[in-house]
Amino acid sequence: MIGALMGRPAGPTPGAVKSVFAHLDCLIEGIDQLKKAGYSNMIVTSPLPRHEIEEQLYEGKPSPVRWFTLCGALFGGTTGFTMASITHVNWPMIIPAGKPLVSIPAFIVITFESTIMFGSLFTLIGLILMCGLPATKLQIEVQDPRFSDDKFGLVVNGLSKVDQAKAQSILESVGAIEVTASEAAHA
Amino acid sequence: MKGLTYGEVTRDILRPLFKPSMAYWSMLGVCLVALAYGGFCWLTQLTYGLGVAGYAPPVFWGVYITTFVFWIGIGHAGTLISAILFLFRSRWRTGVYRAAEAMTIFAVMTAALFPAIHVGRAWNAYWLFPYPNQRQLWQNFKSPLMWDVFAVSTYFTVSTIFFFIGLIPDIAAVRDRTTGLIHEVYKGLALGWRGTDRQWRHYMAAYGFFAAFATPLVLSVHSVVSWDFAMAQTAGWHSTLFPPYFVGGAIFSGCAMVITLLLPMSQIFGWEKYINMWHYESLAKMCLLTGGILTYAYGMEHYVAWYSDNVYEWDIFVYRATGDYWWVFWIMVFCNCIAPLIWWFKKARTNLTILFIVSVIINIGMWFERYNIIASSLAHQFDTNSWVYYSPTWVEMGIMIGSFGWFGLWFTLFMKVMPSVAIAEIKELVRPPLKSDEVAA
Repeated sequence: MIGALMGRPAGPTPGAVKSVFAHLDCLIEGIDQLKKAGYSNMIVTSPLPRHEIEEQLYEGKPSPVRWFTLCGALFGGTTGFTMASITHVNWPMIIPAGKPLVSIPAFIVITFESTIMFGSLFTLIGLILMCGLPATKLQIEVQDPRFSDDKFGLVVNGLSKVDQAKAQSILESVGAIEVTASEAAHA
Repeated sequence: MKGLTYGEVTRDILRPLFKPSMAYWSMLGVCLVALAYGGFCWLTQLTYGLGVAGYAPPVFWGVYITTFVFWIGIGHAGTLISAILFLFRSRWRTGVYRAAEAMTIFAVMTAALFPAIHVGRAWNAYWLFPYPNQRQLWQNFKSPLMWDVFAVSTYFTVSTIFFFIGLIPDIAAVRDRTTGLIHEVYKGLALGWRGTDRQWRHYMAAYGFFAAFATPLVLSVHSVVSWDFAMAQTAGWHSTLFPPYFVGGAIFSGCAMVITLLLPMSQIFGWEKYINMWHYESLAKMCLLTGGILTYAYGMEHYVAWYSDNVYEWDIFVYRATGDYWWVFWIMVFCNCIAPLIWWFKKARTNLTILFIVSVIINIGMWFERYNIIASSLAHQFDTNSWVYYSPTWVEMGIMIGSFGWFGLWFTLFMKVMPSVAIAEIKELVRPPLKSDEVAA
């Protein structure tokens, strides 16, 4: 009941094939074989980040989180310096000996700290948005406690009955220790 | 990490969670008693005012500012280990960084109490934050004290984000191995983390950026703290040497505190596989390096004072070593410059008892260093009529003891509810399970 309210799937996802791997090289081989066979709708689950997996799936394309970081840092630095400058100009304290109201050395710390602060906060927002956190709507097939321990998961989605059978046979041939298919998405 | 499997790593690290022993309860009890005493002392100060502190005009900075700087300094090693060593891909960092990061957060939480305690009317502490008063007058952003507010609050925010993001995959591992109410709590905290390719991809990118942001903070926060002193034209403070001197000292005391905390923790929890002599020795070497920088800074500030030919500057350094606070000065020199030298001998830095004792000595020395800087310079200023002797009262010392209780309480609670060693990162050090290995065998 609570799960349903939070939008969690109640049962297996139609058209999915779930496989469990005990060995990393078998998993990489599995992804490779599936890609060659034309499958692309895959989710790989692992207890730790592995570059081999990222390379296979994203082929070196960097995460867009970096744009959030850049925007945050630029926004923070500008805000910090502007805030310090405007507030000093707004209520000027004229100090003799030609001390400037807007002083770069005096405001550098505020500018620097604001850059770091907003850069980090925007990166956090980027991470949350890109990862879709809190991830309450992930399909049931990836929610396996073994994937946070010592096993790797590979789920292929949106398959017809024929494709499911083909994917199953590929996954079994590369050494998956468990392969299960749900009801087909379409005939 | 030879011979270990992913499964063993998860089990080993999660084993001590939620099973408090008698020793654990005793430790928690000691922290609570210290905290209660500190709370009573602060209540006394809130009731009767700052008069209960030992301030003697013109000395209005004392034990509170000393302890503030001490705790901020403690935090630095945590960020150094978690961020800088992450960017340098240092392998020994992995076993110790989680506990070091927790130490950072709790140390900054402890330090953050002191400005509020120090100002007396703690309920007005929010005046520190940048907003205009009823006459539209803002804080002075040219003041080093305002820089410090920005530096410390940024440091706390960034460290906390970095810490929590690092914890998420491990919280998910705890969630998957618990049941009932505990499971529900961790399920909420894990934010639905499942370690999918999409999650790891963005996570690793963001983690790198957080590390890159935290790295300059290691250098900047204590530099800004040092400017609280160095920007003032007070003899013994007004020096360009202060930022590197303070940063070196902060990392020195922080690494020593990591040894003090991790050595017993690793022994009690049976984590020798993950935190062992390799880590202690690396930390001891960090202490030797930063202790060397500190000793050089002590020598150099005396030399510069003498070479400047400024009578006030030179007088304060003579006063520190031979005046009213001579004992503070020599405790500092012994604890920070002489005692750690024993670690130059491999036998000494690989002996657990010596490691522990020297790490405690360093922390005592680092508290006295800040006391030496603050009390002696203020009590012995330019005009001989303003010379006084400041000594702390039981209220100030009680609040300082209470701060150790507050810090200890958080750290002790953390050890039992969160994995103090990073599971996912330790697995990165383990050789992954490969079919080809099994076939070859």
